[in-house]
Amino acid sequence: VSARKLAVMAVLALGASAALAQVSEITPPASGSREERVGSLLPPGVESAAEATDRVTNYTPDPAKYPVPRTSWDGKPDFSGVYWPGVNITPAPVPLESLYKPEAREYREGGGGARGLIDWRSIDSPAYHCWPPSPANGSMALSLQLVSAPGFLLMLNEGGGTFRIIPIVGEGDRRPDQSRRPSFMGSSVGHWEGDTLVVEVTNFNGRPWLGGARPPAQPPQTSSSALRIVERWSRPDGQTFEYQAVVEDPEMLTARWTGPVHRRGMLPYDMIQEALCVPDPELYARHREFAAAAAAARGRGGVRGRGGAR
Amino acid sequence: MAAVAGAAIVGAVLFVGLREAAEEDRALTQWGEPDLTGVWQGEALGAASGGDTFNLQTLEGLYTPDARARMKQMSAKDDPTLQCVPPAFPRAAMLGHRLQIIQRPGFALVFTEAYPTVRIIPTSGRPHTAEQFLFPSHLGDSTARWEGDTLVVDVTSFNGEGWLASGQDKPTSASAGVWLTSPAMHVVERWRRIDADTLEYQATVEDAETLTSAWQTPVVTLKRQSIDRIEEALCRPEDGPETYLARLGS
Repeated sequence: VSARKLAVMAVLALGASAALAQVSEITPPASGSREERVGSLLPPGVESAAEATDRVTNYTPDPAKYPVPRTSWDGKPDFSGVYWPGVNITPAPVPLESLYKPEAREYREGGGGARGLIDWRSIDSPAYHCWPPSPANGSMALSLQLVSAPGFLLMLNEGGGTFRIIPIVGEGDRRPDQSRRPSFMGSSVGHWEGDTLVVEVTNFNGRPWLGGARPPAQPPQTSSSALRIVERWSRPDGQTFEYQAVVEDPEMLTARWTGPVHRRGMLPYDMIQEALCVPDPELYARHREFAAAAAAARGRGGVRGRGGAR
Repeated sequence: MAAVAGAAIVGAVLFVGLREAAEEDRALTQWGEPDLTGVWQGEALGAASGGDTFNLQTLEGLYTPDARARMKQMSAKDDPTLQCVPPAFPRAAMLGHRLQIIQRPGFALVFTEAYPTVRIIPTSGRPHTAEQFLFPSHLGDSTARWEGDTLVVDVTSFNGEGWLASGQDKPTSASAGVWLTSPAMHVVERWRRIDADTLEYQATVEDAETLTSAWQTPVVTLKRQSIDRIEEALCRPEDGPETYLARLGS
């Protein structure tokens, strides 16, 4: 269970209680971000997403007070825990968008490897089709569980229920297994550099988006099957882990992109909950009708717009 | 002569003893539990193509009159896996697709390749998840303990949406191919490695709302696969189960 879930449960409970007239009715605040509005509904003592994000952002790791746990089998840092929320404590040196090749524009406009499936100018996104989250951030969902086991680091996402099985090998044996089928989350292989787990990920299927679209100006940050990511996973102390990715995609990007330093705070639970993403073809069909109508309206509006500008 | 024979016998006993010790080592994790770690795969089981290899005729006879009446209103097309809803165990064990077990102190994780899921199974014998944190789910809430070399997993808190077998499974000519469950379902599984390359699985299913008494699956034999991990597989309803499942395990 995550704090986010608890917060949702609290909100739901408040709704049910209001129906029973045990608490007074609540008028949600009309202004502020969605997170702020949800946060203001939480009962005292329940941390909102915004508060938790601030707490983790401003946290200073203290390995003396919270020593990094170590595994009984190899003495390396034990990543096991449930983590939420995630924050970027150091931004990427340059925005990913600045590295996209101009000639990739047309491919991106078409949705890249999601061509025909995703209408990025509307509400559509990879997550909507139950695809795993961006590999440029470890394919990590909002809340997740890490499990260290002999020879493996496992990443289990709560939202969507996807998982990564990352084998950990010796220094001389760290070639990713190319015999596997290309996939959304790629083939991973990890090795230790001191107490940092360095994971090389290749063998992607060319379909993931590295970052979302921002319609209308920024098309999807698509990837190609040449995508290669090197990740560094570390534990500054027993309350957090940190993650940073270096992303290469010679077909999409003009240079290697170094991602932000990402940090997650640990929650006092020993397992995440089941929260599967199940595709809904009927919903997709309704959405396609909606998107077609919206595109038709845009087309008409565009013509009028150009006319006005003239 | 007798001394030589004696030495040979002592040698043979020692050799067998050492070999058993080596096998014993491989059978245990570094923290002393039976080691079920590996990628495993069994035969596809059921009653889809004549014969009944999953004791489904017995299961069919156990449904209550009320459950039968509801099942009459449904058909094989209502099988939730057709919408990519993952099947829980024991049904997941009859698909004939790969699964992977990884252990660490206190937990065993079971990953399935078809309809990809992970089960997080506490092996410390701790109680089920506390009620205030418990949501009914497709895969249920598991907790386990070791009985000798067998991992006994107790699973509750299902959401009642899953089926116990596929719409194609029709053990008798009168079968509708509908296999309902309810949120009252309670599954007890037994996982046991019988040698280095063989894992046995067996489950007992109780469901007071749909079954008149407990149903036992046959023992499912799973063989070790020589890969270090299962593949990523995304189920898409538009592919249909034949296409989707055919892509797996190749």
